[in-house]
Amino acid sequence: MELANTLSQDGESRGGVLAHLERLETQVSRSRKKMEEPQSAPAVESALGTRIHELKRLRDKLRAEVKQRQASVKASTTNVEPDQTLEITEQEILKRKRENVKAILQAYRFTGISGKLTSRGVCVCISTAFEGNLLDSYFVDLVMQKPLQIHHHSIPVFIPLEEISAKYLQTNIQHFLFTLCEYLNAYSGRKYQADRLQSDSEAFLAGPLQRNSLCNLLSFTYKAEPEGQSFPFCARLLYKDLTTTLPTDVTVTYQGTDALSTTREEQRAAHENLFFTKPLHQVFTSFARKGDKLDMSLVS
Amino acid sequence: MDETVSEFFRRTILKIPLTEMMTILKTWNFLSENQLQTVNFRQRKESLVQDLVLLCEENHASLNDAALLDIIYTQFHRHQKVWDVFQMSKGPGEDTDLFDMEQFKSSFKKILKRALKNVTVSFRDAEENAVWIRIAWGTQYRKPNQYKPAYVVYYSQTPYAFTSSSQLKSNLPLLGQALTIASKHHQIVKMDLRSRYLDSLKAIVFKQYNQTFETHNSTTPLQERSLELDINMDSRIIHENKTEKERVQRVTQEIFGDYPQPRLEFAQYKLETKFKSDLNGGILAEREEPLRCLVKFSSPHLLEALKSLAPAGIADAPLSPLLTCIPNKGMNYFKIRDK
Repeated sequence: MELANTLSQDGESRGGVLAHLERLETQVSRSRKKMEEPQSAPAVESALGTRIHELKRLRDKLRAEVKQRQASVKASTTNVEPDQTLEITEQEILKRKRENVKAILQAYRFTGISGKLTSRGVCVCISTAFEGNLLDSYFVDLVMQKPLQIHHHSIPVFIPLEEISAKYLQTNIQHFLFTLCEYLNAYSGRKYQADRLQSDSEAFLAGPLQRNSLCNLLSFTYKAEPEGQSFPFCARLLYKDLTTTLPTDVTVTYQGTDALSTTREEQRAAHENLFFTKPLHQVFTSFARKGDKLDMSLVS
Repeated sequence: MDETVSEFFRRTILKIPLTEMMTILKTWNFLSENQLQTVNFRQRKESLVQDLVLLCEENHASLNDAALLDIIYTQFHRHQKVWDVFQMSKGPGEDTDLFDMEQFKSSFKKILKRALKNVTVSFRDAEENAVWIRIAWGTQYRKPNQYKPAYVVYYSQTPYAFTSSSQLKSNLPLLGQALTIASKHHQIVKMDLRSRYLDSLKAIVFKQYNQTFETHNSTTPLQERSLELDINMDSRIIHENKTEKERVQRVTQEIFGDYPQPRLEFAQYKLETKFKSDLNGGILAEREEPLRCLVKFSSPHLLEALKSLAPAGIADAPLSPLLTCIPNKGMNYFKIRDK
């Protein structure tokens, strides 16, 4: 049994070996037969010789083809150069077009509302301005989802962004952006007027300018003529409408104890009216101009 | 000058480090340049303080002047206090907030003085239309304790106020009331947010911590973070790690952004949940009562540490939303219960 097993296990290999031996045997017998036949050496030689010629011919043919191809490639490369220069100018044209479009996109800032697509939605830029002066820009990064969400923003905390988004963000995004734009432009404008008053018209102010975050309540003491004998007036400007840059309430009071003369009373009323109708810093520049006029009259 | 006031001056000036002495005194602007020049700032601190107190006496300095100096010192050393955040709310359909700083200050002071006869209230205006308020509490029968004051920082026309954790907790409701009424709000609520870093708290509640925006005007493209890889490693291993590392970087960047994180020192989670286990049985799994435990994460800069967890390979990305929601929700104290 064991022998049979070994046979069956190595059966294939043994069978293989046996078969191989058989083949070798037949080969030997065949070659012996061939050797017995007289073979003419010259016949073999001539067969080989023709073979060599054929191969040489094939080789030369292939060599010639290669040379031809190389020559044609060289020729084609010299022909390609003028095409390449054409491509370059096309590239330049496209480049210039792209830069042009980029510049237009950048210039959109000046329209007040511009935006750029982001990976999650759009980043809207609200650029504020007042009297032709470009002021701060504010951003709102929106995520295009249902519901629409604000990812992050640079709107100051005292602007009622939550109120405005609760009203309009989901229903009418255009209205949302325009309302936000209104609030921000008005805030920027009021801030600009207050800043200009503080920096340019320091000479007219008798004390510090009192203001708040929204710049919607301004309180200050001033003199219409800085060096003159005029009395100091107290002005209190309220901007109840957060979308405007002119005050809704103006009170100008006199700080002294004695009663106001009629001219002073007229001046007080006139100033109140001025604050209502003109931007704050312009009121003070007009005071300065009146002062200049007075000087001129003194000189002449 | 009253002896208590003199002592208050001495103790306040003594607190100031010598390196900051000149800057703080100049900010205080109570002693003139000439007076400051007569003082020898190189002498021993105790003698310097004595000289300065004498100068204050010459100028008839009042308690309020001392309080102002204390405010300035605290503004320079705001990290020495732990700050809480309160949120106020108005009723619906309120008129436009016409905030008058002077009105606010007088109203605030009046409310406190009406309730507590013995209280010192001082104000100092700060940038961005904010005000720093210092309150020294007393009682019906005792004068205010100047050495344990409470501070409130309020930005006008915002619903948030920042208060230094007062040791005298009983006065907190009164403080809240005064703030609410003076700023024309209706309600005040304490937020679950606390830190030493006042500026970070402000950045969190005012939502100012992420200020990078994509515009057409920015010329620098969004920079790709280059991964630092060990070049000696087998090239096949690098590729496999690279894709995962890139994914982790991308997810981290999506959640935490590219901006510097606001600074917090801890996040605290109070758990009251039933124990959930995959294994059947076990003692804890059979409890009906919720498990109570407290988990606290501390760090010199918690959010930056959390941001670096996944890239360092210590945690999986994305991190748990309980950790990543901290600046967004404005909370670093959480109570987690079963739904």
